Amino acid sequence: MITLTIDGKKIEVEEGATILQAAKKLDIKIPTLCYHPVVEPYAACRVCMVESSHRGRTELVTACNTKVAEGMDIQTSSQRALNARKMNVEMLLARAPAAEPVRDIARSLGITHSRFPVKDPEEKCILCGLCIRTCGEIVGAYAISFTERGTERQVSTPFGEPSEACIGCTACAYFCPTGAIVAEDLRGRKVIHDELLLGPTTAIRVPTRQAVPMVPYIDQEACIHFKTGECRICAKVCDREAVKYDMQDEVVDLEVGSIILASGFKSFDARRIPAYGYGRYPNIITALEFEHLVNASGPTGGKIKLADGGEPKAVGIVHCVGSRDENYNEYCSRVCCMYSLKFAHLIKEKTKAAIYDFYIDMRCFGKGYEEFYHRLLEEGAKFIRGRVSEITDFAASKEEEGRLIIRVEDTLLGIVRRIPVDMAILATGLEPSLDHKQIAKTFNISCSQDSFFLERHPKLAPMSTFSDGIFLAGTCQAPRDIPDTVAQAGGAAAEALALADKGTFALEPITAEIDKDLCAGCQMCVGLCPFTAITYDKEKGISVVNDALCKGCGTCAAACPSGAAQQKHFRDQQIFAEIEGILLV
Amino acid sequence: MAEKVKDKTFRIHLMVCAGTGCVSNHSFEIKEALEKEVKKHGMEDEVLVVSTGCNGFCERGPLLVVQPGNIFYQQLTVKDIPHLVEEHFLKGRPVSRLMYTPPREKRPIPVLNDIDFFKKQVLIALRNRGLIDPEKIEESIARDGYKAMAKALTEMTPAQIIKEVTLSGLRGRGGAGFPTGLKWEMVRGAKSTNGGGKFVICNGDEGDPGAFMDRSILEADPHAVIEGMVIGAKAVGGTEGVLYVRNEYPLAVKRLMVALDQARRLGLLGENILGSGFSFDIKVHRGAGAFVCGEETALIASIEGRLGEPRPRPPYPAQSGLHGQPTLINNVETWANVPVIVDRGAKWYSSIGTETSKGTKVFSVVGKINNTGLVEVPMGITLREIIYGIGGGIPGGKQFKAVQTGGPSGGCIPKEMIDLPIDYESLTKAGSMMGSGGMVIMDEDTCMVDIARYFLSFTQEESCGKCTPCREGTKIMLDILTRITEGRGTAQDLTLLEDMANAVKDSALCGLGKTAPNPVLTTLRYFRDEYETHIRDKKCPAHVCRQLNTYTIDPQACLEAGRGCDVCRRNCSSEAIRGEKNTVHSITQEKCIKCGVCFDVCQFHAVKVK
Repeated sequence: MITLTIDGKKIEVEEGATILQAAKKLDIKIPTLCYHPVVEPYAACRVCMVESSHRGRTELVTACNTKVAEGMDIQTSSQRALNARKMNVEMLLARAPAAEPVRDIARSLGITHSRFPVKDPEEKCILCGLCIRTCGEIVGAYAISFTERGTERQVSTPFGEPSEACIGCTACAYFCPTGAIVAEDLRGRKVIHDELLLGPTTAIRVPTRQAVPMVPYIDQEACIHFKTGECRICAKVCDREAVKYDMQDEVVDLEVGSIILASGFKSFDARRIPAYGYGRYPNIITALEFEHLVNASGPTGGKIKLADGGEPKAVGIVHCVGSRDENYNEYCSRVCCMYSLKFAHLIKEKTKAAIYDFYIDMRCFGKGYEEFYHRLLEEGAKFIRGRVSEITDFAASKEEEGRLIIRVEDTLLGIVRRIPVDMAILATGLEPSLDHKQIAKTFNISCSQDSFFLERHPKLAPMSTFSDGIFLAGTCQAPRDIPDTVAQAGGAAAEALALADKGTFALEPITAEIDKDLCAGCQMCVGLCPFTAITYDKEKGISVVNDALCKGCGTCAAACPSGAAQQKHFRDQQIFAEIEGILLV
Repeated sequence: MAEKVKDKTFRIHLMVCAGTGCVSNHSFEIKEALEKEVKKHGMEDEVLVVSTGCNGFCERGPLLVVQPGNIFYQQLTVKDIPHLVEEHFLKGRPVSRLMYTPPREKRPIPVLNDIDFFKKQVLIALRNRGLIDPEKIEESIARDGYKAMAKALTEMTPAQIIKEVTLSGLRGRGGAGFPTGLKWEMVRGAKSTNGGGKFVICNGDEGDPGAFMDRSILEADPHAVIEGMVIGAKAVGGTEGVLYVRNEYPLAVKRLMVALDQARRLGLLGENILGSGFSFDIKVHRGAGAFVCGEETALIASIEGRLGEPRPRPPYPAQSGLHGQPTLINNVETWANVPVIVDRGAKWYSSIGTETSKGTKVFSVVGKINNTGLVEVPMGITLREIIYGIGGGIPGGKQFKAVQTGGPSGGCIPKEMIDLPIDYESLTKAGSMMGSGGMVIMDEDTCMVDIARYFLSFTQEESCGKCTPCREGTKIMLDILTRITEGRGTAQDLTLLEDMANAVKDSALCGLGKTAPNPVLTTLRYFRDEYETHIRDKKCPAHVCRQLNTYTIDPQACLEAGRGCDVCRRNCSSEAIRGEKNTVHSITQEKCIKCGVCFDVCQFHAVKVK
C-alpha cells in the first residue's frame, strides 16, 4: 500500500494505482477527456493535469496515467495546474466547438468562449483516440488509426478507404465521447436503423426484457471476443467476475416421468411478403419490433420514434400479415387483432399520430375484448376493412412525398384507397417454431395440417398427445393468447401431476409381441413401428417389443414376413376363429 | 582475418573529404581528377587518394588534407587539380594559393593544426574524422578501432564496464543529458519477459534543422558507433541491436551497411564475437523522416511499425521498450564516446569538461559566422571561444547578436551572455538547452521575432498531434507570431503568448512539445523590446519582417551611382516604381506590397529600407 496526499487529504491506495484512481476514492473530481477505464490511458488531452510534488521535484503530471508513489503530494487545483488545464480546454474548445464534454468542462472552469480562432464550428472530434484504442485494444480489429500529423491529424482507415479489417461492430462510435463518430459514417459497413435501434443491441444480453431467469448470456455469433480473441470488456467491468468465456453448452440427461412440451412459436417473417416493403423501408417495423420500441426500458425509453428520430404523424397497422392468407398460412393467428388494438391505444396515448387499422375481420372474442375495440373506435382510431395490397414510398402527389403509402381496397366503400403514413406496423402472425419437426420426431408425436403439434383429442384431451406422459402447452399446439396459454399450461401441469401422484399408469391391453422362436431378426418391424416400441436385441438376434411404449396399432403384426410379430388378442388364430364363428352363425 | 590488409606503403596520402557538405561541393569529382592527374604523372604507386568522412570545416569545402605534413587545402575546384598535383606532389612545392587564409589576415596557414578552427578542438567522438576511409574497416582498426570492444568482451565484466561509464560522467548527447551509466545500470537491472532478450538501439534520427553531428559521425566513422553498441550490449546483456537512421542520410546508411558487413566478416559482430562467447548483431532501421521519431518512445513505436508518436513515460524504455523488452537507447554521439572511455579510462575522460558535464560535445556551428562547420569542443568552453576563436567571428564586420543552441527546441542566448561556459546546466539556466548540439549564430541583421516564428513553424510542422498543447498550442502561438511579424500584433498578444508558452511547456506530453516554446520564451526574455517595437511601432529593427518595412529610393544614389538603371522598375511586380532609364526612380507607397525585390536587385544601394 502506498500513502499519498491529494489536496491535503491523506489516502492509502494499492501500488500501481493512478492518481486519478486515488482521487476518485477521495471523491475529488479531476476532469478527463481521453480517459476511459477499460482502455490503456493515452495522456493526450492533457486536461487532467495536476501538480505533483515528489522527492523535491514539483511538476505537472497527467493524473490518468501517472502511478502513485509513496509520499507524493498532489494538488489537483493549484494555480499552475489550473492554468495549464484551462489553456488546454480553451484550445480544445476552439478546435471542437461542438463537442459537448469539452463545453461542459469549459463551463465548469469558467471559460465561456475561446480566444482562439475556430476553424469549424461543427467540429466534434477532439482527437482523444478513444475510438482507435477501442478498435485496437478491445475489439482487436485495428481498423482505424490516426493519419497525418499536427493540426492535420485525423482519425481514419488506411488511406481513407473502407477498411477490410473493420468488422462493423460500431464500438468506436459507442466509445466516442463527443458523438463525432456516427455508425452510419462507417463507409461500406452501414448499420441500418432497425438493427441499431431495435435489434439485439449487444452481444451480451438478457434474451428478452421479461426473461426468466433475468440473466445475461453471450451471443457467440455476435461477440467480438469470439471473432478476434480480444475485447473481454464485459469481464473487465463485471465486479463479480461472473463472465466466463470458456463455458460450453452441455447436454444433461434427466430421467422424468412426464414431459410438457411448450416449445412456442415463431413470428411470421414479414420479408416473405415483398409488397409490404419490410427490410427495405426503415419505418416499416414488425409487431415485435414495435413492442421493443414502445417498451419503457427499450432503446428510446418508450418513445415512439421514426428512424430519423422524429415523431410519426400517421401510423398504419396492417392486420393478418401472414395469417388468413392462402399463400402463407390459412389459419387465423388469433392474437394479432387484440395486440394491434393495444398498439393503437398506446400510440394514441403517447403521440398525436393518426391511426389506421387495416383489418379483414375484427376477432375480439375474449372477455372484455369487444369492449376494448369499442373504446378504440371512440378514441378515434380509423378502421379500414380490406387487405393491404402494397406499402410503398412511391408518391403520387405532393402530400405523399417522403412518406409511406399504404394501398388498400376498402371493401366497405368499394374503392381502392392510398393512405400516407409515417410508420407502418405489420401485425405478423404466429407460425410453428423453427425446430418443431425435430421436436415432433424426438417425442414421437404428430403434427396437424398447419404444422402445429397434434393433440390427442380437440375436445376431450386438448393437452395430451398420443404418447402417454407427453403433454402440450401454449402456442406449440396452436396460436393462442396469453390467457389461453396459461389455462392450457395449468391443465397440462395438472395432468402431469396426476400421473406422478398415481405413480402407475395402465398399459394398453392390446400390445404386440414377438415370438422369439419364429423371429428371423430381419428388423423390418423396428423401422415401421410409429412409437419406437420395438428394439433389436443384438445378442439374441431377434426384435423385442417394449410393452410400455406399444400402443397396439398392429403395424408390426401386419408387416412381419415370418409371422413372429403378433398382436395380443388379435392373433391369426383368434381372428380366424372369430371369422369361423361368424360364418357358423 | 578474411581479407588481408594491403601492406603496400605510399609516399603521400591525399585525404579528400567525402562528407555530405563536400560531396555536394563536388568532392567526388575532385577525387577523380586527383587520381587522373596522379596517374598521368605515373605516381599511382606513390600517392594514394582516400575519401574520408566529414572533416568538419564544411564552410571551406571541398577539402583536401595531405599526409604526412597535414597540409590543408580548401575550396578546390577541378581546374586547380593539375596545377596542385604537379606543383606539390611532383615537385614538392605546396600551393599557398589554395590554402586557408583567416579573415582579416594576409598570410595563409598551411598546416591544419595551426588553423584556429582545428587548434582549439578536442576530438573524441570525431577522433577518426578525416583520417580514415570509413568504408575500410582496416583503417578503423589501425586507429585502435574495436580495441576497446576487445577489452570489454575479454577482460571486463558488465559491472566493470558500467562502472567505468558511470565514473566517466558521460551524459546523453541526444539532448536531455541523462547520465549514461545510470541508464545502463537500469537496463542491466531490468528483466526481459518471455525470453525476449534486451535491445540496444542507436538513435540516429537527427532532425534539427542545421544540425549534422550524428550524420558526420556515421559518415566519417561508423565503426566507432558499432563498437560502442557492442560494448553497451555486453554491459546490459543486450541480444539485438538496432541502428535507427534517417532515410534522408543515404550516405550514412550506405557506410553503415558496409561497416556492418565488414565487421561481421571479421567476426567483430554476430555469433561468438572474437571467440568471447558473446553474440550480438545490429540491423539498420531507416526512419521515414518524422522529427518526433527522435523522441525515444516514438522511435521505438516507429521500429515496431506503429505510428511514430510518443507515449507517456514511465515506463521508460529501460524498463519496457522495444517489443516490451528492456531497451538501451543512446544517441550516435554518446555511442561514439563509449569506446574511448573504455579504452582510455574514466579518469582520463572525466578530466575533460566541467563539474557536472564531462568530456566533449560536438556542435554544428552555422548561421552568420565565418567558419561554418562541425566542431568538437570540451565542455565548459565559452560561447566566445567557439564564435570568435574557432568560428572566426561574424562575417562582414557585423555585430554578434545572439546564438540559438539546442536545435528548434532550444533557446536564444543574447550577446550579453557570450562568456557563458557551455554545459548542460548553464544552458538550461539560460532558458535554452544542450539539445543535440545545433548552434545557430545570429548577427545584428537577424530579427528575433522572426527567428522565434521560424523555429516554431518547424516544431509546429513536426508536432505529431497527439497531445493538445503541442498540437493546438504551437499552431496558435505560430499564428500570433506571424501576426506580429506582419504588423497586426496587439498589446495583449505578448501576455497571451507568454501564458501559452508556459502552459505548453508545462503540460505537453513529450520533449518536443515541452521544449517547443523555448525559442519564444527566451526571445521574449532577452529581446522583449524587439517584440514591443513590432507591435507598438509596427517596425522591425532588423528590417527582416518585410511587411513592416518602408522602401524608398535615394534619388542621389539612384541617379549618380546607378544612372537610373531601371532594374528595380522592371522587377517590381506591383508596378509601384515610377521612372525610366537615366532618370530618378521613386516608389508609390500605396502600391508597394513590400516584397523587397527592389532592395534585393539594386546594385547601387539606392533602395533604402526603414
